[in-house]
Amino acid sequence: MSEVDETAFEPLLSEEAQKALRGPLPPGDYYLFGSDACLEGAVFAGCRYYAGYPITPASEIMERAAQRMPQVGGRFIQMEDEISSACSLIGASWAGVKAMTATSGPGFSLMMEAVSFAVMSETPFLIVNVQRPGPGQGYITSSQEDVMQARWGHHGGGPIIALAPSSVQEMFDFTIQAFNYAEEWRVPVILLADETLAHMREKLTVPPWEKIKVLNRIKPQALGIPPEKFLPYEPYEGKVPPMPAWGDGYRVNVVGLVRHPDGNVTKYSPEMHMACVSRLVQKIEDHADEIAQVEGYHLEGCKNLVVAYGTVTRSAFEAVQELRGKGRTDIGFLRLKILWPFPDGKIRSLIKQVENVFFPEMNMGYLVHPLRESLRDRAKQFISIPFLGALHSPDLIIGEIIKVIAR
Amino acid sequence: MKMAQGAGRKAMGEKHPVPWALGLAPERVFMKHPMLEYLKETGAYGDRFPTIFCPGCGIGQALNYTLNAVDRIIKKDKIPRDHFCFIAGIGCSARVTSHYLGFDAIWSLHGRAPAVATGALLARPELRAIVVTGDGDAAAIGGNHFIQVCRRNLDMTVLCLNNNLYGMTGGQSSPTTSRGVPSTTAPYGNVENTFDLCEMAITAGANYVARWTTAHPQQCIQALEKGIRKKGLSFIEIMVQCPTHWKQEPAKMMKKFKSQGVRFSPEKRAEGLKKDQFWVGEFMDRERPEWLETYQKIMDRFQRP
Amino acid sequence: MKRYEIRIAGFGGQGVVTVGKIVGLAAALYDKKNAVQTQSYGPESRGGACKSEVVLSDGEIHYPKVRTADVLVALSQPALDIYLKDLKTGGLLIIDPLTVVQEIPRTDVKVVKVPTAEIALEAGNKKFQNMVALGALASLTGVISRESFEKAIKDSVPPKTLGQNLEAFKKGSEYVRG
Repeated sequence: MSEVDETAFEPLLSEEAQKALRGPLPPGDYYLFGSDACLEGAVFAGCRYYAGYPITPASEIMERAAQRMPQVGGRFIQMEDEISSACSLIGASWAGVKAMTATSGPGFSLMMEAVSFAVMSETPFLIVNVQRPGPGQGYITSSQEDVMQARWGHHGGGPIIALAPSSVQEMFDFTIQAFNYAEEWRVPVILLADETLAHMREKLTVPPWEKIKVLNRIKPQALGIPPEKFLPYEPYEGKVPPMPAWGDGYRVNVVGLVRHPDGNVTKYSPEMHMACVSRLVQKIEDHADEIAQVEGYHLEGCKNLVVAYGTVTRSAFEAVQELRGKGRTDIGFLRLKILWPFPDGKIRSLIKQVENVFFPEMNMGYLVHPLRESLRDRAKQFISIPFLGALHSPDLIIGEIIKVIAR
Repeated sequence: MKMAQGAGRKAMGEKHPVPWALGLAPERVFMKHPMLEYLKETGAYGDRFPTIFCPGCGIGQALNYTLNAVDRIIKKDKIPRDHFCFIAGIGCSARVTSHYLGFDAIWSLHGRAPAVATGALLARPELRAIVVTGDGDAAAIGGNHFIQVCRRNLDMTVLCLNNNLYGMTGGQSSPTTSRGVPSTTAPYGNVENTFDLCEMAITAGANYVARWTTAHPQQCIQALEKGIRKKGLSFIEIMVQCPTHWKQEPAKMMKKFKSQGVRFSPEKRAEGLKKDQFWVGEFMDRERPEWLETYQKIMDRFQRP
Repeated sequence: MKRYEIRIAGFGGQGVVTVGKIVGLAAALYDKKNAVQTQSYGPESRGGACKSEVVLSDGEIHYPKVRTADVLVALSQPALDIYLKDLKTGGLLIIDPLTVVQEIPRTDVKVVKVPTAEIALEAGNKKFQNMVALGALASLTGVISRESFEKAIKDSVPPKTLGQNLEAFKKGSEYVRG
């Protein structure tokens, strides 16, 4: 084995260093892949640590991170697998840095233990799942099959927050929002993209930077809490505990176990257990309406409701517009932008009574379950419109709707 | 393997009762341990000491040696105490990070501590990351992560407390349990060959590799001090006694460490080892390029005007 | 313009995806329209089937892929066989007569034959044939300005071959006008 040639870096860097962009994208219009927009959103939000493992169709996000991280003062590392990628996010986050990775279904499964740990230890980070069909190796095209796994795939079941973008612009905007949610609620956040969106090119408009909101975790130093008074697992003003960084002097012992607010892990009692875990669950569930984002169209007098999320929104909306244009003005549309926590309250406040609910998904009808529970007394029929491996065409959705309403 | 009479955890407690069980006040029995300033004896929700470690467990000793080494570096090199950061996975060894340490620490996932440490270092390079792992944590489930941090030669110290089995879960065989030895998962004797973690670390590329035992306190402290100070991946393996599962007196086990541990030298290596012997000493001390300083060169290029 | 749908298809390695990218870039950044571009591949990098689609609009684009194409550029026989049915009545079909040799089974579309490889050779190298096709597409559809195309080409090709790419583009657009 020869020793490394230190001069190998020189020619690669001299050209790049000249034209590199040393910060986030300046305001203006860009024409980018969804993958690129996602990474640029992360850079804007302040993400300065990326660890990943190659997997189609998420590798492009990682490759852009490899290029951009040193340019903006961050660090990138290609880890040996998805398990270590996700675990390293825990370390980076506790060392005080916003951290992310991107993967697809098989890698997402490997990350579940780390997600579970992050839920319990209240560690913020972002996982982008560029969904592809499964189960198993599945295929390398588009899918929405991990929507339930995002919420329930990690053991122990504490809630996470998941967003579903549908355009290149939203890959940028939602990634920034995802980091904001992570920092605000101290929870791992999942961005549920899909292969179509990652590999699609569209215009991205970066607004003037002052217009974009970026949130950072609250540290105990900022609240004037000294280390000797700091209880690492005690929520501040009923929300989340302040989060110091390693090296700040707070000597936090991070655990993924049930514990007392001071971090004691051996004085176990059922009461302590309940207090600890129920706080983590209620932290998100109690604020589901505040976190939820849905969009409704033509809901007044709507008899037939089409619900969609992610890239399928675009096919479904086109189908709804076309049917309405042909005279079916009893058709309305509901878009879910945040999938978890499931926006139960928001949906019920918008939908009072409909006959049929149509739910096109690039999976065998997974998210129809919480939807059906949400509208259990407000709709007569729930019709799932599954399509696997690619985006629904509007004609497919129109066909399935007509089958039911033309009777 | 003979089972010593009257050994085992319950019997151990009865034969050697702790002083407070005899009604003796701790202040009367002990002088304050010099490393106590680095530990959290108690907290707002109750005492944390005594620790969960069994009487006679070698992990307590290894922790003492580590804190001594850290103490020396804090005092000699003027490194801030808050730059030290202990990262552990799962197992008896990992319990040191649960709630005893007066340092930033994390009790994370089984086998993944090197990965967690990687993230922490890349986020904040001034942190002195000390990964505390065990033989099951590092050689089985964490094998690949252990190999990769050695290969990358990241600037951290990996401390493996090797008791040759899985202690926390009841005494199952681990990849370092000798051939033929029975355990709860090898009731008829271990059919597998063993791992030499030090050889693995050297082959993978670690800068500093050493092995000692709890019966070599000064050498442990010196190796840890050297390893923490040294740039690159330092791997220090400390053989620790598990009197509970091996069902032997801890003092006897430490005597065996002393007699079976053969000081390594290239000349001695040619002679080979006899049955039950193992090498101790410094196996590797080199200056291969370290990950963070290499990456820093790339980052610096983008800082130039 | 409500929705204008372009599909380019051929073998991998013919530059199908680059053409789609340039069309989208020209429309979105320089002509200030909305444009969504997608692509799909067969498993082999060279030789497998490959298609690229661009949907243009002055307004918001919902469904991002082609429903019925306004334009189909078919650079291989299999591409024509698979995608001809999705071309609108009265739509534009651009083919390379060297690779698409069989008779076109539809009479309700406007067929333009462009020998892209030959023309590319005049511009310097056969490998610029995708730029010839792009030039023909630009000229025949007229939905994006020539200046926007030229800026988009400049953004998308290495500086060393920019001149030849622009030349091939020019020759392609001239060929269909002549």
